Amino acid sequence: MTGPAMVGDSFRLGYRFQRHWDVSMASAFFFGELGAGLFVVAMLYPSWPVLIMGLLITGIGKPWFHLTHMGVPNKSWRAILRPDRSWTSRGLIGIVFFSGAGVLYAGALATDGLVPLGDVWRVVAFLAALVVMTYQGFAMSHSTAIAIWSTALMPIASLLYALAGGAALMLVLEGVGAGLVHAPLAVLPAATLGLAGALLVLHASLLHAAYNGTPGAKLSARLLVRGRYAPAYLGVVVGVGIALPLVVLGLGGDSLPMRIVAAVGLLGGFYAFRVVIFKVGVYEPVMRFGGIRTPR
Amino acid sequence: MARWGMVFSLARCIGCNACVVACKTENELPDSIFFTRTFVEEVGTFPEVSRAYVPTLCNHCEDAPCEKACPSGATYTREDGIVMVDQDRCIGCSACAVACPYDARSMIEQPKENRGLFGGAKAPARDADPDKSDRWRAGTVVKCDFCSRRVDKGLSPACVAVCPTEARIFGDLDDAESAPSRLIRTRNGAQPLPEKNTRPKVFYIDY
Repeated sequence: MTGPAMVGDSFRLGYRFQRHWDVSMASAFFFGELGAGLFVVAMLYPSWPVLIMGLLITGIGKPWFHLTHMGVPNKSWRAILRPDRSWTSRGLIGIVFFSGAGVLYAGALATDGLVPLGDVWRVVAFLAALVVMTYQGFAMSHSTAIAIWSTALMPIASLLYALAGGAALMLVLEGVGAGLVHAPLAVLPAATLGLAGALLVLHASLLHAAYNGTPGAKLSARLLVRGRYAPAYLGVVVGVGIALPLVVLGLGGDSLPMRIVAAVGLLGGFYAFRVVIFKVGVYEPVMRFGGIRTPR
Repeated sequence: MARWGMVFSLARCIGCNACVVACKTENELPDSIFFTRTFVEEVGTFPEVSRAYVPTLCNHCEDAPCEKACPSGATYTREDGIVMVDQDRCIGCSACAVACPYDARSMIEQPKENRGLFGGAKAPARDADPDKSDRWRAGTVVKCDFCSRRVDKGLSPACVAVCPTEARIFGDLDDAESAPSRLIRTRNGAQPLPEKNTRPKVFYIDY
């Protein structure tokens, strides 16, 4: 590749990997979206045990990994202070409403209406879940710093993965039974198949946008498709995470083992996407400013 | 109120890195933390090769994406345009760091084995100036602040003061006759990565 190369921490002009958001942040993103997605899918039944499961995945998994990442965890409550401009603050407020309204809605279902205003909590919980499912994508895309993140596709990726992850997990829970749902949802396998198909289109769009974007976005895309992260991206994110569920569900596999294979694949691909999209984020070199060329 | 900015002359910069050393010393920066860096690029092919030196630091952008990303309000812009980080408010989420297109921010990692920020050694100038001690908190994000303490006393930033070739020119961008304003106007000053729409207050000339 001609032009500036990856230069790490050296004092050379070139591309630098972002390393501020790492695997612990990727894990926080994964659990946050998965839990909210499972909650929304569970609302279709509705199944209060699975609603609680979704709340726990988001309520425990996400903060655990966020606090692991934070430099000053005991001050992390301050993250709620700037909803006027920060997607992090908006998301945290969303999580608070999601958790509160979600528990009340699940409580209303579990107690057959002893908890009042069940319909109100349902609407609030759903809207808050929508925030939780998408805000991380907005947080990634709102700045132009990391070119491959700076796309309207990031919030859509968050939403699709959240719903697909929730549907995949629900496939297994439904198959396991154990009184978690009153009756299976006939469209769930087809819906999960559809979501996997949508993810395929999403990735094609993401790569297309990156290859036609800034040099930094192109570099990130090359790293995904031909570079050091190609095995993880093509093999796990696309292969195991999308192609495998498409084949299994598309061929009509509806037994519990097939559901487990599809779900593990999809969830594995989901987590791998979260990790690898952080890994390939690059800062562009400052030398490309206006009409300036470096002196000869 | 002044609006502080800086101009870098690419022709004058000789890549001596005196600015980097002065900055490290003035700001008592821990290991691997740099507020300013002078990047080098080799240009041309043998036998016609040369080196270009490109000084960089926080650009104190007018439309700072780091300030918008900060959820705790730790990042803020002073009236004089200097973008600051309040160490008391920073929670170390690094949202600002991934929002900065210039990779101008650094996280001070938690010191390992309780060896402190300087690996057990004394911080430079700790004895000479108590005001400098314990300036940085582990777990927070830090960056250049145009040596705001020096600027408030009427001095120029340490990197500007020490530059042997006067490749760094600091001044009030709102004063049309200040050195940086004249240079930007007469020498076609250009901002780094203008397509990022951050409106940096650091300009480059002589290319």
